[in-house]
Amino acid sequence: MSERAENRGSTGVPPVQFEPKIVAFVCNWCTYLGADLAGTTRLEYPPNVRIVRLPCTGRIDFNLIVKAFEIGADSVLVSGCHPGDCHYTSGNYHARRRWILFRELLQALGFEMERIHFTWISAAEGHKWQEVVKEITEKTRQMGPYKELYRRNGEAASPASPRPSTTPAVSPEPLRSGTSEPSAAAEQELRDTCRRLLAEDKVKVVIGYGKRGPVFITKPEDVEKLVWNDECLANLTVYLKRKEIKALGRPAIVVKGCDERALVVLEEESQLERKEIHVIGMACQGMGEPKCEACEVHLPRFADEVIGATDKHAPGTADRWKALESLMALTTPQRMSYWATEFERCVKCYACRQVCPMCYCERCLVDKNRPTVIEPSATDKGNFGWHILRAFHLAGRCIGCDECTRACPAGIDLRLLNLTLAKAAEEQFAYRAGVDPKAEPLIGAYSLQDKENFIR
Amino acid sequence: MSRIGVFICWCGENIARTVDVDEVTRQVAEFPGVRCAVNYKYMCSDPGQTMVRDKIASERLDSVVVASCSPHMHLRTFRSAASLAGLNPYRVEMANIREHCSWVHPNKAQATAKAVQLIRLSVEKARRDHELEPIRVPVTRRALVIGGGVAGIQAALDIANSGYEVVMVEREPSIGGKMAGLSETFPTLDCSQCILTPRMVEVGQHPKIKLYSYSEVEAVSGYVGNFNVTIRQKARYVDIKKCTGCGECWNVCPLKRNPSEFDYAMGMRPAIYVPFPQAVPARPVIDAKVCAKILRNGCGLCLKKCKAEAINFKDQDKLVEEKVGAVVIATGYKLYNIGKVQDRPKLEGYGEYGYGKYKNVIDSLQFERLLSASGPTVGELKRPSDGAQPKSVVFLCCVGSRDNAKGLPYCSKICCMYTAKHAMLYKHKVHDGQAHVFYMDIRAGGKGYEEFVRRAIEQDGAQYYRGRVSKITEENGKLIVRGTDTLAGEPVTIEADMVVLANAMRPADGVEQLAQKFNVGYDEYGFLLESHPKLRPVETASAGVYICGACQAPKDIPESVAQASAAASKVLITFSASELTREPEIAKVNEDTCAACFTCTHACPYHAIEQAEVRTPRGVFIKRTARVNPGLCMGCGTCVAVCPSKSADLEGFTEQQIYSMVESLV
Repeated sequence: MSERAENRGSTGVPPVQFEPKIVAFVCNWCTYLGADLAGTTRLEYPPNVRIVRLPCTGRIDFNLIVKAFEIGADSVLVSGCHPGDCHYTSGNYHARRRWILFRELLQALGFEMERIHFTWISAAEGHKWQEVVKEITEKTRQMGPYKELYRRNGEAASPASPRPSTTPAVSPEPLRSGTSEPSAAAEQELRDTCRRLLAEDKVKVVIGYGKRGPVFITKPEDVEKLVWNDECLANLTVYLKRKEIKALGRPAIVVKGCDERALVVLEEESQLERKEIHVIGMACQGMGEPKCEACEVHLPRFADEVIGATDKHAPGTADRWKALESLMALTTPQRMSYWATEFERCVKCYACRQVCPMCYCERCLVDKNRPTVIEPSATDKGNFGWHILRAFHLAGRCIGCDECTRACPAGIDLRLLNLTLAKAAEEQFAYRAGVDPKAEPLIGAYSLQDKENFIR
Repeated sequence: MSRIGVFICWCGENIARTVDVDEVTRQVAEFPGVRCAVNYKYMCSDPGQTMVRDKIASERLDSVVVASCSPHMHLRTFRSAASLAGLNPYRVEMANIREHCSWVHPNKAQATAKAVQLIRLSVEKARRDHELEPIRVPVTRRALVIGGGVAGIQAALDIANSGYEVVMVEREPSIGGKMAGLSETFPTLDCSQCILTPRMVEVGQHPKIKLYSYSEVEAVSGYVGNFNVTIRQKARYVDIKKCTGCGECWNVCPLKRNPSEFDYAMGMRPAIYVPFPQAVPARPVIDAKVCAKILRNGCGLCLKKCKAEAINFKDQDKLVEEKVGAVVIATGYKLYNIGKVQDRPKLEGYGEYGYGKYKNVIDSLQFERLLSASGPTVGELKRPSDGAQPKSVVFLCCVGSRDNAKGLPYCSKICCMYTAKHAMLYKHKVHDGQAHVFYMDIRAGGKGYEEFVRRAIEQDGAQYYRGRVSKITEENGKLIVRGTDTLAGEPVTIEADMVVLANAMRPADGVEQLAQKFNVGYDEYGFLLESHPKLRPVETASAGVYICGACQAPKDIPESVAQASAAASKVLITFSASELTREPEIAKVNEDTCAACFTCTHACPYHAIEQAEVRTPRGVFIKRTARVNPGLCMGCGTCVAVCPSKSADLEGFTEQQIYSMVESLV
């Protein structure tokens, strides 16, 4: 392909026109045949597009799109059969749902959305293929080469813009005062309950909060190690999947209302059976975390027993999406710059993954090297790739416990990415994670009504 | 290290005119893994294919890339060629440098550069192709035919006469479907039962057809070649093996006046009855909703009269299992019930025609029974209210069809023809009668059809008005039909003795639940979905399940019979070998890394992924995993995209292949 203009200027040779690289992921049955038809009809279009043929748009994961940009594509086109015509009946519906969510994430990241295109092109639409390719090539030529995400040629990112304020406008302090403190009585009741459960052999281990982290109590006399106070921030459900814990036998687990939703998701995803664990729900008035302002689950709903319930529980009144406002108020390049600065600090410690109850894959995708989907190293590519991947894999599954944000040693506001996708899930699909154990998954299901105004 | 052979085709001038094939060959030969690169004028020709085979042998190639036309044209060709040379056919890839390059880019330099890159893509893909064997699935060479109307009968006979066993399931007490109730058929005016009943008898007596009458499909599992079907045999209360059909029971039954289903309530039948004399099986069934013995332990006269001891009031539904390899769905149609109460919110009914209110407003199937020589009026045309012979009959076409606002937008195809037939048969019976037909268009597209309609008008004097009827009322025993004649530009009011409505054709009740059992799609009206409307009209999205007849779309008898034979031929293709081979480019799950979240199971359009367990050889449980059923998977790759750990992968389009391809575009 032609070299970029900026590499030629100084030799006195007239600068070569920038030739955009366009990667097109197309389905075999419709768009590929549509492109064939364009060929048979001898419809000319610029030679910048490279087609990667796949059986169905359903096969196209967002990773492929990211990878295309990583290797140097300036624009990406994804195209398949019209809704209702999919050769495999519903692959394109699944793809459409993923694209809706992925676009929301990319917008929040400050990605230039004009560089990604989605179309439905049927086997009869040779002309449409020609028009689409011509349009995308020209548009991309005008936009210039894609550099932002990966700071190619060692250039610095655009000047860092002011970091959006993500601290809540209302101070969290009022939540901690007076009536909101978890009572010592609740702590005692918790200990008594656990002592009884262990003594009666109803459970083999209690997973609870200790003074300095989680405790795993197997003997009744050790229940004094359990605490309940306003520092019980962790989401203990993450320990349910650990082999060492499972080996101990039937567990009881202490959860707040926010953590409990993880149990619902885990059950939906066949990771645990509700009747095989004993759930001790702790009524909570708020721990002063940003998420507590908009909390609606002060009382756990599915627990076997609830400790500390009083009649003073009221749902938080703050807007759940408030933290996104300042982020989305930035311009697109400012947002990209913001995230570039944030991710620069990421050292790939994977604390966010370790602390998340939904990250239970035995072999995480970032650890897969044949092929290397995400660069594991702490570079721009690797960091963006990782955070895009994790955020997207949590779409419709993240229950907003914010542990990842709390655990991040680099102070990256991961919460914003999770909120972006949670908001998209609610607004586009009326879907909320961890609410209904019988709900279909968000990704893995589709609706004929999913909106496609961005698909040409 | 790979040994890839690249074969670049000139395609005569089609490629070579715009792509410098020699330059491409030179560049491609430098790619890592490419053992040899050659070009030739016509790669798909015999000498071209021989060249490929020779190079495979002489260069000991382990993969082949042919750079020429679209894979949709010749991938099979080159895969066979490779196979003949002993190379696994799934290690052959094609680079499309014609439709996607030489034919659309006139600039030689650009086209050549692009061709090189496209070949690079395919080389990267071929390098990582796995050797795949076609998947062999055993086939149970028995067929299931659901529906015993003319389409089901035709399909069953075709399959059975080819030597394979057929299980036929019919939910009415007798086979024959709607055609058994017709009087005469267009365009020949053949007596419907005369042409159908020999076929019915053949089905009933055929050594290879196992008929479950008065039965329904309860459940199905499995996949093409290996379906397990559960059939519910509904309780007849009569043992049809013992019964001799002597008729003593239905003669003695005191409950004689129950509306006959076969006569669409134009006639009556007893509580124990055979639906019509030519029924197959010609054995009675007891209507448990009215029988006095069943309801309150009264009567029991038939039991006393039966010398064969065939009556059994303790009968119960039975569930039977059958194993089959292919299924033909031929469930037929029903007429649009135009009363006000509808089963879908979008349908509104046509209350203004007085159907259900005025006894003499009937639909077309009811009229057939009145015309029929073996019908409730023994072939004499008597109107329902008083048995008088109607001297003026009005026929309304398009009742419910072609109506976006209140009914169904599609055309029911047969009504123009049968209305003309009705007008003719009416005239043949009532010589001094007058038939009036209100129509929108005349659709008479079949062989002899147009001529038939003209005969109704010219020879049998049917009066045709192009217009619709707005309202029907009754005054002094006459039906007042208010319509329009748009060609004359005037309203028309007719005093009729009887009105016959040509109601729309809809799929039979319960077809949607049946379709869901078989994973067959259906449209918003319930008509079953074919694979491709032009090229695959009898196949469905489910391999091994075929459809024919009016369940797919409104159609007449000749088309139903033709489609039934088509479906039968598809079944015979499925049965042509004792094993089915399926394309092996399907998904598989890495059970070591699978996290058993089963998102793939939810997403799979073919329900081809099961929840399974990994156990040691001694049976100790290790973990749960998703597992792809190779008999069902169609290779779309949706599971791969939704898998968070990418434990699911798709042969022929593996993650490694796609990533290598994309990375080669640098």
